[in-house]
This record gives sequence, C-alpha cells and structure tokens, in this order.
Amino acid sequence: MAKYATGEPIYALATPFSPSALCVIRASGDGVLAIFQPHFTGDLLEARSGMAVHGFITGTDGCRIDEAMVIRYSKGHGYTSEEAFEIMAHGSLPVIRAISSLLEELGMREAEKGEFTYRAFMHGRMDLTEAEAVEEIVKARTVRGSSEALGRLTGSIRSEAEEAKDAILDILASLEVQLDYGEDEIPEEWTFPSERVEAIRRRLLSIAGTFRSSRLFSEGAIVVIAGRTNAGKSSLYNALLKEERSIVSSVEGTTRDYIEAEAQIAGIPVRLFDTAGLRETGESVEAEGIRRTEGLMKRADLIIYVLDPSSDDEPPEDPRVLPVWSRLDTAGRHDGISFSSVTGEGLEAVLDAAAGKLTRDLEALEDVPRIDSERQRRKLIEAADALSDAEKSMEFGSDVTAMYLQSALSSLGELTGEITGEDVLERLFSSFCLGK
Amino acid sequence: MRDYDAIVIGGGHAGIEASLALAREGFDTVLITQSLDAIGRLSCNPSIGGLAKGNLVREIDALGGEMGHLADSTMVQMRMLNRRRGPAVQAPRAQADKFSYSRLAKETLERERHLSLFMDTVVDLIVEDGSVAGVVTERGWRISSKVVVLTTGTFMDGRIFIGEYDAPCGRLSEKAAIGLGDSLRRLGFNTGRMKTGTPARVRRSSLDLDEMEVQDGDDPMLPFSFETDRIERPSLPCYVTYTNDRTHEIIRSNISRSPLYGGKIVGRGPRYCPSIEDKVVRFPDRERHQIFVEPEGVGTEEMYLNGLSSSLPEEVQHDFIHSIPGLRHAEIMRPAYAVEYDYLDPLDLYPSLESKILSNLFIAGQTNGTSGYEEAAAQGLIAGINAAERLKGEKPFILSRTEAYIGVLIDDLVTKGTKEPYRMFTSRAEYRLSLRHGTADQRLTPKGYAVGLAGRERMERLEAKSARIRSAKDILKRTRIGEKSAYDALKEPERDILSLDVPELSGYPVSILSEVELDIRYSGYIERQDRELEKARKAENMEIPADFDYDSVDGISSESKEKFKAVRPLSIGQAGRISGVRVSDVAVLAVAVRSSRRG
Repeated sequence: MAKYATGEPIYALATPFSPSALCVIRASGDGVLAIFQPHFTGDLLEARSGMAVHGFITGTDGCRIDEAMVIRYSKGHGYTSEEAFEIMAHGSLPVIRAISSLLEELGMREAEKGEFTYRAFMHGRMDLTEAEAVEEIVKARTVRGSSEALGRLTGSIRSEAEEAKDAILDILASLEVQLDYGEDEIPEEWTFPSERVEAIRRRLLSIAGTFRSSRLFSEGAIVVIAGRTNAGKSSLYNALLKEERSIVSSVEGTTRDYIEAEAQIAGIPVRLFDTAGLRETGESVEAEGIRRTEGLMKRADLIIYVLDPSSDDEPPEDPRVLPVWSRLDTAGRHDGISFSSVTGEGLEAVLDAAAGKLTRDLEALEDVPRIDSERQRRKLIEAADALSDAEKSMEFGSDVTAMYLQSALSSLGELTGEITGEDVLERLFSSFCLGK
Repeated sequence: MRDYDAIVIGGGHAGIEASLALAREGFDTVLITQSLDAIGRLSCNPSIGGLAKGNLVREIDALGGEMGHLADSTMVQMRMLNRRRGPAVQAPRAQADKFSYSRLAKETLERERHLSLFMDTVVDLIVEDGSVAGVVTERGWRISSKVVVLTTGTFMDGRIFIGEYDAPCGRLSEKAAIGLGDSLRRLGFNTGRMKTGTPARVRRSSLDLDEMEVQDGDDPMLPFSFETDRIERPSLPCYVTYTNDRTHEIIRSNISRSPLYGGKIVGRGPRYCPSIEDKVVRFPDRERHQIFVEPEGVGTEEMYLNGLSSSLPEEVQHDFIHSIPGLRHAEIMRPAYAVEYDYLDPLDLYPSLESKILSNLFIAGQTNGTSGYEEAAAQGLIAGINAAERLKGEKPFILSRTEAYIGVLIDDLVTKGTKEPYRMFTSRAEYRLSLRHGTADQRLTPKGYAVGLAGRERMERLEAKSARIRSAKDILKRTRIGEKSAYDALKEPERDILSLDVPELSGYPVSILSEVELDIRYSGYIERQDRELEKARKAENMEIPADFDYDSVDGISSESKEKFKAVRPLSIGQAGRISGVRVSDVAVLAVAVRSSRRG
C-alpha cells in the first residue's frame, strides 16, 4: 500500500465517473498552479484564492480539451490547506479521461483513497470526526445522506456526546468527592442516581439505534420483490422501473438468479431485486437459486411480497414484509394494497407503502442525531453498557462504580475523537492506508 | 576532583529521601540545611498518610525509601480511611509524634556512612557548561559536586503572615532562605508564588475535652512499611468539634484584616485545604465546619486544630477559637499563620525530575509546587534515585501512571504544571483499582531492588509474601463451597474470606488473606481496567525523539506547538495529557512521529 506524504502533487475526480452535466477534478500539492497554468487560458496565478477563473483547457498537443471554470486555492486555504485547484468541466467521459491524462503527463499522481482527507487532517483542517464525516459524504448516495453527513461536520453527534459526558461527569464528580475525602470529612453516603443515569443510557441507545437508518441513506436499502411463481413479480418489477424515473442502471444478475436495479424510493437510494425467473429454470439450478434468494431476503431491508388474489398464498410473518396483491385489473380489489401492472393502477400506492415502511424507524427518531459508522455505534453501546454496570456494581464498592462511570466517559470521548487512544490512531492509520 | 558526588539542599521530607537514596547507593553525599534541628519537621499537621497520600507512603517504602519506617516508629494513632467505600480508595493515615519523628529522621541520616550533614544556607549554584557543578553558601563556602538535588520547600523567599504582621520566614520564627530565588531567576528559572497556611496549636490541659467527640484510632495499628510486622504502642485519641454562627460572625467582621483578602498575599493557595476564612466566605450557607483536635505528640501538650488554618490577626484568632465548644478556654501556644513562598515551575522538569534548564540539577518537593509531606518525600526519592542513576551513567528511572501514584504525581507535575499547591487525590489516578496500597510492594519493590535501593531482605520478604498469596489462592481453588470453588464463591459481594472457614488457611495471617480476597474479588474489574491500561501503555510506548522538530509539522496548531515545545513530552501518551492541547494536534503529532521514525 502506498505511503502517504503531503506536498506531492495529486489529483482526483471528485464526482462519479459517469456521464453528467458537470464533473469536478481537484488537484493539490506544492506548485500545482504553476504546473497547470500553461495548459489553461485563464490567469490562475493572478487570481485570488477561492476565485473561479474561466478559460479553456488545452492538452500537451495544444488541442483544446474543454471549456472550464477553475477555482484557485492558495496555500493555507481550501480543503487540504495546500496549494490546490478545482476544475469544473463538462461531465463527459472523454473529457474526464483527457483531463486526467493531461494531469498525469504534467507529473501529478492520482490520489489514493482518502488521501485528500488525510492531507486536510494533517494540515489541521479537521478533527477525526470531521474527517470521518467527509468520507461519509463521499460515500453518501443521495441528498439526504449527504446532508446528514454534513450535520455531523457541524458536530451534532459531538454536542450530544458532550452533553451526555457532562451529565456523567457531574455524577462521577459527586462520587469522587466522597472517595477523595474520608468518611470523617464527608459522612453522608452516596446514592446512585438511577433515574438520571437511566435517562442518559436511553438517549445513548437511541442514537446507537440510528445506525441502521443512517446506513439506509448512505449505502442504500435492499428491497426484494418476492412471491410465488407467476404471482406477478416481474410485472411489478418492470412496472416500478417504468414508474420511477430516477433509475440509474439495470444490471442482470450474473448468475441469472435475480435482476438488480438501482432506484430511489422517497429519496432513499434503493437496490431493487427481482427474484423472478427463479423457478422457471431447470431443477438443479432452482435449488441453488432458492438458496441465493433466501440469502438475499435475509439481508433485505424491505420485502415486497406479491400475492395472486386467486391463490391461497399467505404473506410470511416478518416485520420487513409488505404484502401486495396483483391483477387489480382482472381479479378486482383486495383488502390490502392492490395494483395492476397492466393499467398501472395502484403502483403509486405500492411505492408509498414501501416508502412508509422503509422510513418508519426514521421518523420516530427525527430529533435524534444519526450516526454513520459501526465504530460510533460500538462506542455508544459501550458507554451505555458501562452505565448499567455502574449501577450493578454499587453493592461491590464505589471505587468500582467510579471505574464504570469513568469508562462510560472514555467511550464517549473516543466517539468524539477526544481521546487519542491507540484504537483511534490505529483506525486513522488504517482508513488512510498509511504504510506500516 | 569534586568535594562530593552529590549535594542535597534542604532537610525536609524530600531532602531526607533524596540524600538517603544517594548515600545508600554508595555515593558521597552532603545534605546542607539551614537548621540541623529542623530536619524532618512536620511543619503543619502531625499526621502522615491519608487518602491517596497513604498509598504514596507505602510506595515510597516499597521502593526502599524511609518515610514508612519513620511513621511506623513514631505513630500514636492510626486509622484506615474509607473502609466502607471500596479497597481501591482506602488508605492508612497515622497521627505521628512530631518530635520523635523529626529526631528519628535526623538519627537515620546520621547513621548513614556516605552521608554528611552541614548547616549553612545555599545562596547560589555553581554552573559549568550548562550543568550544575556545586553550590555557594551564605558563609562563603563553595562546595562542588557532580549532581545537586534542590529541595527548599517553603523557605525560598518565604514570608509568613499573621494579620497585619509579616516576616521573612519559612516557618514561624525560622528565617527564610533569601538569595537563592534571585540566583535561580538569574539563571533563567521560572518562579512563581504559592501560599499555604497552618492553624494554631493549643494547650491540651486548657481544653474542655468532654465537650468534644472522641475519635479513637484502629486497634491494632497497621504499619506503612512492608518491613514492619507489628506496632505495639498505646494509641492517643483525637477530638472532633464544630464551628458555629458566632465563629463565622467573628471571622466575617474581621475579614478585611486578613492578608489574603487585604491583597498582601499574591500567591495562590490550595482550594482543597482552605483557611477557615475562605470556608466562611465561600460557603456562607454552611452552618458549621468540622474541626479535628489532634495531639502533636506524646511528650507535649500542644494540640493541632485541623480545619482552622488562618492568617487573621492573633486577637481575632483568640476570639473565634474561644467561640468553639471544647476550645472556650483554650490557651493558644502558637498562632495560625499563612506562608507565601517561591516555587519553580515544574514544567521545566523532565519526568526524572532533572531540570531542563540546568542539567545534573534535580528538583523535588514543595519547591515544585506541591503540598504535603508525602508528595514531597515521593519526589525526593525519585530525584535521589535519578541523581544516582545519572552518577552511574544509567537511563532515568521513571514510574508510569499505570504502576504507581508516584508516577501519576510526577507525570501530572511535569506535563500539566500546577496553578495551586498540588495534592495527591485518588481521582487523579485513572488506574487506581490496580494501585491499592497493599500491593505497592508487588508493584514496586522489584524496581527498587533492580535500581539498587531496596535491599535483598526486602526482596525476600516480597517473594515470601507472593508465594503465600499464590498458595492461598491454590487452596481456595481446590476447596469446594457448594457448587463452586471457594475461589469463585469469593467473587460474590456478600462473602468474605474469614467467614468461608477454610481450615487449610488457618495458618495464614489476616494481612495475606485480605490481599488474596481483594485480588480475587477485584480480578474481573482489574482485568477490565488492564485492557484500558494496555491501550494507554501503547501510547506511552510511542516515544517522541528528544530532538523532534515540532516546527517541521505544519498541521499542528501554533498554540499546541508552543506547548509541545515547552513540555517536550517523551511519548505520545504524555503529549496527550498536556492541558489545552487539541486532540487532533496530538493525532497529527503521532502520525508525524511515526513517519519520521520510518525514515
């Protein structure tokens, strides 16, 4: 793995490598402006930091590549705090390729994963939680996902953790006073403030519980269409794809066991799986197919279970299951959600119900800041566990109780990156892939 | 040729330990003191130990220091504090006979073959090539040495205050050391002023003892030293009384006559040990404050009024003391007074207690901004050991926060500095479950032995004790109590080792059994703490090169950079404890140190 250094000129495509209106390519490192200037008609060297300059980018052969806006950042400004620039060009793949190879020819290297963030961190531009959030923004796939990641930048998790820490610290301090002065001086016995501790513990657990919903936004929800053969799964799948305009791509599963498409339901990025075609193939394939479908259903965040109103099929007992009835046009309306893939009637209702089910956990948690990583979830759980151990330890000795309260505090400290415990550093080194 | 290997300046609790450590390791040492009659004085309260401080005494002893022996030989009462609140925060405290303590301290120094005692006042240091090379005294002696340990306590430019009266003293009617402070400032040392105080001493026969609660000590008295088997001496009681509205009224109406409130004293006093006028002003709602009346010794009528330290004029002291039950007819033999003195910024020290400003100079005790005999002695011992290590050409002897209260004390001082007289508290030690006073020998005696201070006999005692602890645990593991072993049964909070009634253990002393019991009961918790401790050790083991160039890392904020440069931490762990340093700066430093080491 590459060893990071700072200063060396690097570049990276900041937007996805796919055709779109605009693309952003950023470069950072010592002297990058001077290196790039000969290939840009606008005057970057004279521009103020943070100013966008209009011009044309030309290749080493002198041919124009594209018309672009380039933002100049002087040393000490911008994302990495190094000398840097950002190119905003047209988002066609040939343009992206041409600019990339120009920068390579100029001696810049394509950045490793996380390298920009690493530089920003090393130049004191952000602390650990912020660095982590930036990673999340890059990964976040929808508008809501990135606004949540941004929320962490301003420190909503941190302020929650600080609040909890403050409350625990108060309790610990009242105990420590007793431990630091003998019974002579403070004869009163300390009693465990159960209610206050329980309130803190619940709050920590509810924040920890947001991990799943956060993941939905940043990684996308897995939605599986299941049901008996000929129940109307494929028709629903295709109808939904037609209904929903924001489909990015449709890929056929390589094993032909299922078909996957990316879509959005109520702003949540969704990976939609059709398990259709399963039982219509040969028997040996079918057994393997069932196994795969079951695996898929296990991971699913939502299972849209299609039922033929004329059959005796029952939807499986599972909170993730949304039962829907097909053939609204021929078999008539059922008590539940009915639709017709032929007329399109009821498809809206299926989507609404799916959206409702996907977001039901989220709405209950509106006022709770969401967390985005398994590490954060673990720290919150650790702190909550330490609090309940603290209460249990009271019969043992208040020195042990104090240790548990202390331990809850340090878990919260690690959450905000306040403690330079080796685990935080280790994580830092591994996520920035530093050389060993 | 130097006159001595080592010079120790000062004969207080730090000076005693430093000079004994050097002399016992075979180095020719001279202890220079202003008064040979004041060696090992208990200037303030007549007690040794207490919460966290008792742990310090036992650690000093475990390393081969003297304080535990001195206390054991002179105690007139002993109590184990915090018995109800968990063993990790329990500690012994003893009332000592002041006069015997001081006399025994001097006798102990006199018995040491390599130690000379000399009465004079040091006024300057001899410096050669950035290193200390000796001292200059008031009477004009120039004494040379390879290392110097400075332990001047409250005497450097000391000044005492009683109301409108003030005088250049280190203790009442004992003259301050004038001149050394100026010399040190001239050499570039950073000094500041601190303040402490002591209460009045009253005559026992003038007290109404029946108006006060009696507080007896524990029977038997338990020793501090791991080398003392038992103490058989009659125990003296202490007495408890309380202030009242009248007391508070007298203090309030005279508050402007206090040099503290009148602005004469600029030095900062300890918040945890406030004078009575501070308590009255700061806690106006408290109806009463507790006062302990403690004997100063067997051969004296003087009684110490613990909780009544003051710098109010003497006639006001008379009034408020006489307003307190039990003290209405008290004859005041010595007045309470405040003392203000120079201290040296401990941030200018390495964890070995060697000065960053002048090499071969080690500084210990109240001079470093601490308070308390135990804190002073602990530093004196470490400074003495490190001065000896220097003479031997060995690496510094540094105890970590994870293994001793002494480690916590010194790390706090040299990493965070202090704004008020620093006192040890158990809450300063993040790993206190592992720092029980009873395990000090297991934690530290092997280290004291390795360095050449703890003797063979001490080591053998430890080995014998460890063997007995092991065998007692084995017995418990193979004894069944119902479904489980006696060992596991002890983990239940309601059980205790004596009530288990294991016949095979009948020959074991209670002290061993209670250590075994605590080890077992706390094993789960200690394992948990050990995991945290392991993390801390890793950060501690990430060493920062002594010549690390902080300016070369541009990601560290300039404030943190200045702090790093001032403290020059030896490890990432230490860097992380510097107050006011941003965590992300420490993380950046860690990354930078790593990559600089890689090349």
